[in-house]
Amino acid sequence: MAATSVRPAARAALRCAPAALAIVLLALFPIFVTKPYPIGIGVSLFLAVLVGSAWNILGGYAGQYSVGHAAYFGVGAYTAVMLFERLHVPPWFGLPAAMLAAVLVGVVIGTITFRLRGPYFVLASIAVAEIIRLAALHFRGFTNGAEGFVVAGAPTLHLLGLELSLGTKRSFYWLTLALAVGAVLVSRAVRRARLGYLLLAIREDQDAAHSLGIGLAWNKNLALALSAALTGLAGAVFAGYTRFIDPNTVFSLTEVSVRMVLICLLGGIGTVHGPIIGAVLLVLLEAVLVTPRGLVTIGLLPSDSALVAFVGKWLSPAYLLVEGVIMVLLILFAPEGVAGLLRRVRARRRETAAAAPSPAP
Amino acid sequence: MALLEIRHLSKFFGGLAANADVSFSVEQGEIVGLIGPNGAGKTTLFDCVTGFHRPDRGEIRFRDVRLNGKPPEKICKLGLARTWHKVKPLARLSVLENVMVGAFARTRDPEAARAEALEQLRVVGLLPRAAQAAGGLPIGERKKLEVARVLATRPTLVLLDEVMGGLNPTESDEVIELVLALRAAGLTFVVIEHDMRAIMRISDRVVVLNSGEKLAEGTPAQVVENREVVAAYLGEAP
Repeated sequence: MAATSVRPAARAALRCAPAALAIVLLALFPIFVTKPYPIGIGVSLFLAVLVGSAWNILGGYAGQYSVGHAAYFGVGAYTAVMLFERLHVPPWFGLPAAMLAAVLVGVVIGTITFRLRGPYFVLASIAVAEIIRLAALHFRGFTNGAEGFVVAGAPTLHLLGLELSLGTKRSFYWLTLALAVGAVLVSRAVRRARLGYLLLAIREDQDAAHSLGIGLAWNKNLALALSAALTGLAGAVFAGYTRFIDPNTVFSLTEVSVRMVLICLLGGIGTVHGPIIGAVLLVLLEAVLVTPRGLVTIGLLPSDSALVAFVGKWLSPAYLLVEGVIMVLLILFAPEGVAGLLRRVRARRRETAAAAPSPAP
Repeated sequence: MALLEIRHLSKFFGGLAANADVSFSVEQGEIVGLIGPNGAGKTTLFDCVTGFHRPDRGEIRFRDVRLNGKPPEKICKLGLARTWHKVKPLARLSVLENVMVGAFARTRDPEAARAEALEQLRVVGLLPRAAQAAGGLPIGERKKLEVARVLATRPTLVLLDEVMGGLNPTESDEVIELVLALRAAGLTFVVIEHDMRAIMRISDRVVVLNSGEKLAEGTPAQVVENREVVAAYLGEAP
């Protein structure tokens, strides 16, 4: 009895070991490397994992391709910043408030748009998010309009008696790492629970799901609430990190909404690890495309590199175009992303392994 | 009190009466065949009963609960489940996961759902296929999967929409045996089927629809003798 119960537990621990090791190494990284550039890349990466996993719960599991998640990202950012700037609410309360605000906005949007299916839902999600962006630009008395907010003081996070100053890049590195790990764990738990199966069923065939006792509106809104909460959290943390927000940044269709979809498309939609792979690929790609000089500062390339000059001159101004082309190619040739490609390669290797051995006796 | 009561049910699509004043009832433990030429309104009737269409007139009662206007998920949880004429496998999920989704209608625990799903896969004979993707099954096994999935929701009444269509005679016989065995275990069925041999074998009673109206009702033997039924299927004698 003891042996049978210990062995699976040990095996499970062994399977988690590489992930745990990676997290420990990532957590120790800023102690050894203090250059701001790689730390900044780390923050971008962890935020990308966070928003990718968030989008994946609704888009990947439930198959509801929202291209309007900037609404939740922006609402989260504005909620935390406005509470801090106007009412001096500490960020420790600002973060949950940002999540709650994003969920409330999400449930309102969901109730309206979940009646639509397929491309109509996608279009509606874009439209609603754009309306919110334009409203944030227009109602200046409330939102400061296009001027946005500059977060003046460095907020301090009081956590279990510790004072975590949010003034440094390193503190954001650890905070976003923890949130990214948390988001992946939430995504994994959802996938394995009853809710995960119901969402996948809705993705595969709404009528079949409905006839098997699955309430469509309820479960889609549940997925959206989880997704929006994590996205709002990411928005709030992003605002604290950049210390400046305006509607065109945090409600951006391309830089937030489409980017979240792209992270999942790159990595593999609907899998737990897809958003992690996608975040790594996209953040590295952006690092090379947008800030090629960064590679020089960490000594990867010489300062007179022709590559840096080429990228800086020709690709950086058009990185969105490059990302767009990648997105189209992915949808055409690898709709299941890198995770799907890996799965296909593994399946083929297993087939050849099964066919190759056992020559005739 | 009958298990299912359909009273004066009408459903219109524009000017077309897909169901016109249809009434019949189903007793606990019965197998009722529902037949009629293409376009007679059989699937529309299933859609009305399971909440996918809202009836325009009339009333549907299941275990004395009025079903009109109830959403499909509530009707499923009351114990009334249906299969689809055009099968709807959850293509990218495994066969086992498909049936687990049905089992989640009654449990929150994934392990309990897995156990229930394995049991229903054994019942319909799909256990060897459990790990395969449902989208890759041949048509005969897709139909069995529909049945297993519906059984996993633990229904009292099952509406089968042409589960034998497209099956070869051996597979068709297997499904007939399965339905009879499940009835012996206490389930009630309404069965849409075009295969008259199957209908004659399993039905206690047959209801015939034609152009949305109920044309006849009776034992299989009575129905095939009925002149109007023969005329509806073969055309009037000159």
